[in-house]
Amino acid sequence: MVPWRVTFRPGVSLCEQVVYSAKKAVISGQMRPGDSFPSVRSLSKELKINPNTAHKVIAQLVNEGLLEVRPGIGTVVAELPRSRASERISLVGNEIEQLVVEAKKLGMGLDDVLDAVSDHWERLGGEGGKFLRRRS
Amino acid sequence: MTAIDSLDLQVPEGAICALVGPNGAGKTTTLKVLMNILPATHGRAEILGVQSTHLSPRTFAQIGYFSENQDLPDWMTLKYFLAYLKPFYPNWDDARAEELLHQFDLPSNTKLANLSRGMRAKAALTSSLAYRPRLLVLDEPFSGLDALVRDELTGALLESADGATVLISSHDLSEIESFASHVCYIEHGRLRFSEEMGSLTRRFRAIEITLPHQPSLPVSTPATWLGIETSAGVVRFVETDYERARTHAAVHRLFGDVEVSVNPMSLREIFVTLATAGKKAA
Repeated sequence: MVPWRVTFRPGVSLCEQVVYSAKKAVISGQMRPGDSFPSVRSLSKELKINPNTAHKVIAQLVNEGLLEVRPGIGTVVAELPRSRASERISLVGNEIEQLVVEAKKLGMGLDDVLDAVSDHWERLGGEGGKFLRRRS
Repeated sequence: MTAIDSLDLQVPEGAICALVGPNGAGKTTTLKVLMNILPATHGRAEILGVQSTHLSPRTFAQIGYFSENQDLPDWMTLKYFLAYLKPFYPNWDDARAEELLHQFDLPSNTKLANLSRGMRAKAALTSSLAYRPRLLVLDEPFSGLDALVRDELTGALLESADGATVLISSHDLSEIESFASHVCYIEHGRLRFSEEMGSLTRRFRAIEITLPHQPSLPVSTPATWLGIETSAGVVRFVETDYERARTHAAVHRLFGDVEVSVNPMSLREIFVTLATAGKKAA
């Protein structure tokens, strides 16, 4: 089974989108070091992607050190150095950039954006939204 | 009547090639000529390196064909049907057939006549995948099927596709977009283009220009721009040969220093753009 889902966006390389979603699953702890990673066959079958794309995804993740090839077992999630805050931030970098672009287009100020973010943060049960608001 | 004309198409080995085009473009005819179901009046079709009018049983046993209107021997049970096909295919794999029956949740003792449309499609695909064909030719395999069945068929297909070549005609573009490696666009019996999915989705962009005043369209716009529309303060078009610097330069030359927004397009949006332009040109 592939323990995460990808919602494909048009115009962006499919391989990159799957690699990105897999990294997210690893860094957010959805998959842990030593967990076996889906095979080419099941990646392709479950995410409905071309087997060649699935090959490329695994090769790239192995290349970047997120996966390890264990002979006789397959690929497993590699032991990672504790994920650094900077890595987590870079994972949501795309989304943050999009948000900033949209907000600027609409002529919103930074305060408005931070307010809207903290509203959503609280709505989803996160703490700290109030702190953000007080600061602004 | 000429259904297809000057259609020069090559499908690389190992590709999953989507044959796309408006209804009546000649997709089914093309596939039927390839499979030697219809004779071509001119030209030739080759399949697995053999001219399709001279396919030997040995070559034929390496090809799977499945079309939306496929006739099945309704009086047979699925089990009987598979047993009947087996001797024709040297590569028949009982374990794979069994696996597919299980995966598709197919009742093997029910007569084919009594299967639902979705089950018939699954049964037909099982009968083609069980001999691990080197080439699969699928004509509208998903049409009229619900989303779950389409998902199941796609899954089984991709599982079998590693190493095989697949030629598939379909209108289910959002599904095909994630797994096809190549796209061939057919219109009025002619091949408009045949290219890799990545290069196709890279060169199409929906462009929107915001103008400070009511736009007046320039007399001539680049030939690569399709579907140009204007409304209050906005010009929209599809660039079919996008390259950042070139497209921006053309926009600035025609409209001055304006804001340009560039958006990627899905295969479905690309199809609608091309089909609309094709209809206008006809």
